[in-house]
Amino acid sequence: MTTASSAARSSAQASDPFSIPFDERIKEALDNKTLKIAIDRTTNNARDKRAAAVAAWPGFAEARTLGKSIKQHVIDHLDHYLVEFEANALRSGAKVHWASTSDEACAIVIDLCRKAGAKSVTRAKSMLGEEIGLPHALEDAGITRVETDLAEHIVQLAHDRPSHIIWPALHRTREEVAELFRANHHKPQNSDDIESMVASAREELRGRFLAADVGISGANFLIADSGAICTVTNEGNAELTTTIPRVHIVTAGIEKLVPSLSHAMVLLRLLVRSATGADLTQYTTFHCGPKRRGDRDGPEEFHIVLVDNGRTKMRNEGLADMLRCLRCGACMNHCVVFRQIGGHAYGGAYPGPMGSVMTPIFNGLEKSHDLPQACTLNGSCQEVCPVDIPLPTLLRGWREKSWREGLEPQIVRQSLGFWAFGARHPFLYHIGTRLAVRGMRLFAKGGWIRSLPLASGWTRHRDFPKPAPRTFMEEWNQQQRLKAKG
Amino acid sequence: MSARELILSALRQGNTATAAGEPNDAGAIAAAADALIADLSLGRPRLGEGSLPMLFERQITSPKVAASLDKAASLADVPRAVDIYLTTHGLAREIALQPEPALTAMDWSGYHLHEEVKSDTIVAVGKALWGIAETGTLVFHSGPHSPTLFDFFPLHHLVVIEASRILGYLEDYVAASMGQPVPRNVNFVTGASGTTDIEGTLVRGAHGPRFLHVILVEDS
Amino acid sequence: MDAVPLHNQPTVSDRPKVALYVTCLVDVVRPRIGFAAISLLEQAGCDVSVPQSQTCCGQPAFNSGDDDHARALARNVIRAFDSFDHVVVPSGSCAGMIHKYPELFRNDPVWLHRAEALAARTYELLSYLVDIRHFMPKDVTLHASATYHDSCSGLRQLGVMEQPRKMLAAIEGLSITPLPGHDVCCGFGGTFCVKYPAISNAIVDEKARDIENTKADLLLGGDLGCLLNMAGKLHRRGAATRVFHTAEILSGFGSGPAIGEED
Ligand code: SF4
Repeated sequence: MTTASSAARSSAQASDPFSIPFDERIKEALDNKTLKIAIDRTTNNARDKRAAAVAAWPGFAEARTLGKSIKQHVIDHLDHYLVEFEANALRSGAKVHWASTSDEACAIVIDLCRKAGAKSVTRAKSMLGEEIGLPHALEDAGITRVETDLAEHIVQLAHDRPSHIIWPALHRTREEVAELFRANHHKPQNSDDIESMVASAREELRGRFLAADVGISGANFLIADSGAICTVTNEGNAELTTTIPRVHIVTAGIEKLVPSLSHAMVLLRLLVRSATGADLTQYTTFHCGPKRRGDRDGPEEFHIVLVDNGRTKMRNEGLADMLRCLRCGACMNHCVVFRQIGGHAYGGAYPGPMGSVMTPIFNGLEKSHDLPQACTLNGSCQEVCPVDIPLPTLLRGWREKSWREGLEPQIVRQSLGFWAFGARHPFLYHIGTRLAVRGMRLFAKGGWIRSLPLASGWTRHRDFPKPAPRTFMEEWNQQQRLKAKG
Repeated sequence: MSARELILSALRQGNTATAAGEPNDAGAIAAAADALIADLSLGRPRLGEGSLPMLFERQITSPKVAASLDKAASLADVPRAVDIYLTTHGLAREIALQPEPALTAMDWSGYHLHEEVKSDTIVAVGKALWGIAETGTLVFHSGPHSPTLFDFFPLHHLVVIEASRILGYLEDYVAASMGQPVPRNVNFVTGASGTTDIEGTLVRGAHGPRFLHVILVEDS
Repeated sequence: MDAVPLHNQPTVSDRPKVALYVTCLVDVVRPRIGFAAISLLEQAGCDVSVPQSQTCCGQPAFNSGDDDHARALARNVIRAFDSFDHVVVPSGSCAGMIHKYPELFRNDPVWLHRAEALAARTYELLSYLVDIRHFMPKDVTLHASATYHDSCSGLRQLGVMEQPRKMLAAIEGLSITPLPGHDVCCGFGGTFCVKYPAISNAIVDEKARDIENTKADLLLGGDLGCLLNMAGKLHRRGAATRVFHTAEILSGFGSGPAIGEED
């Protein structure tokens, strides 16, 4: 491993990444050359595949509008669907638990694990689990946690945090993964091709699946009219996690509801194409209640923990659009900022554009006010979002709040205020611009300025062209005067 | 207040603030939900030309799904088709057979059969309830005749599907199962287990089967 | 959003009174673009004025969340451009900002109406020329190869993409080499590039490499902010690519100095 990648450990591994200032997190990410290689390898692939899938589906735009309406309908009537879902889930034999906060949610899960006498739990990747801090909570409770998704397994071995919602180990190159497996697996791969590595992980985890007392999964959809929950995966680890142990616990955000299976199908198509470009992932499973009479496998207990953790607040306070999110990851794959700094620099459980919108809810705006600012507002995230979430508008909404609450640096506030004052007084403004042009020209050599006081953010990295001798307004007015004289 | 009451009351408070004038009784909400999907053609790609079994075959063997497929004229020919697969792959004639009556009724003489699937099972033979042409998906309902782990433990998963059980779209499955009890697990299987977790490169056989082989029974 | 503003009706087709919104950067850094725009608009049969009380569109304030200042500047722009058939802007980003003014006046019916009216008759220059004026350049020759970057606001907010390419295709001797990632942000982002210089630099560095790899003589685009960002990076990297605003090429100013070349 290079020194650059070992430096990356601090924000990849810190228990509170926000304790490291944003600027340092960025620097660390940008200095890590293998990180950029790793990001490109996965996101380039993802973008190409999504583009091909969308191009092959002429009705994509209509489906997207429909998907958006379905999610919006559910968010508008969330109380109704939660109650309907709960009643049907109870009827199927599931136990339903409600949690307002992440701490409550973790406490419920830990309590269920303890009651089940669990020593070891398997987990199928769930972003909600990351959001509520379940991995840590399990460890603190002394319960052995086995991450079974390959990427989460890598993340666990490396003591990292996930850096992408679809590919949590996206920040690791194959070379780094090979090294991790050699150091940690009982039977490491013989050669460092990806196939051998995957085979080694398969072998390593098989026994762990069989030994688990409790399996924990998330849910991509909660089907209101049946009480079933849906998982969408590729590897088969989710089913091994949920079928083998005696107890299956589902943790799900309350926004995951859909009215019926048919509605879920519409969203499934959008989700999978946007995430991986496939039509459907290898395994789409609808889980409804515990083991039935005559079943040869399946969990004896089936628990669903419905988690709010800020979602009702989002819905009621201007971020309802965000609750449509399907967690497909397309916005981050297409984000120019994410593609330079990767996921860890964001600090929260969710990176990229959607993370920058949600992290202030989960971690507070004061800690995370940089996230909505560190965006060019170029709009490609919204363009690729399968449910048309106006991410740039929501990010700007946070900026407005930051401004009102005085979280932005004084220097930014003062310069903007100064600029705005001038711009409201056209006469002063035009005098100011004339002076500015003349001043700037003093710094030029040839046609370019290589360094400009007060603009080092620009000139540290690029040159600035020498302005023309006179502003457009001066020039134009002179031409008009000459014309008038004839 | 319990968390449940807290969440529901916060949502209801928000309702009056945000969704004023929206229908709020259960009947109106259900009608609105139904109206959204009244025109199913809006939300899905169009199937190509051809019979459903043809389309299913095309999709499931396409690079996207990448299963292999063989045909059998009738259910009675399945053991022979299985044998061909085992021989081509140099595998022993030892299989875990899903306890599905249509399968167990076949003539498996010459095979070493297991009734249960194990973590180290090499080959399992199962039968899907439905096939979906749109996505190249095999559908299983868990139950006494269809333990879930049959789809996930073996290295080679061989699946029998009858041509008459092939549906067009995902929603056709919803229609076909309408009004019937919801099974504990509905498993949609669309290709062999895979992962793209290392550098986005697809590798098969992550945790579930590395090989998915379909035996399409033409006449049933 | 009820009443359709009267100004939006197609009643001004033969010789519209067009106001040029110069934009801060063109005013200060590269006036040639303003003159190129006027020349094109006149060729396209417009009566062009330049209102003197125009200043900044308020985008830096708006994007910083400083809505009070953004509103103040928006009012100034709305007043300055009240009496024209069309307002034309040689920048998708500033034109896009004017299109967002109604958001600022959600709770102010009087100004909301004026903001909507202005938004409805404000256009980005290149799309205005093609979509509204059906203009094509005539007898312009430039022997060079060029590549094209689509700036984000123009592309995603205003649908500017085919129009400049269509007009450039009418220039004799000019060949266009596609730019991989032509629709990917260059990392300028207004205040973003000075607030987060390290990220912005990483983005524009990648962009500059893509541009250099096309081996094109020229880089063209429709937004001076982005062009300055890319030109500045290309120059710092020592690349020979010359950078122009598309309006300069279309109006025949392509024989003059590129960005950063002395007169
Ligand atoms: S915001 Fe949209 S694009 Fe981003 S993860 Fe959510 S659904 Fe996908």
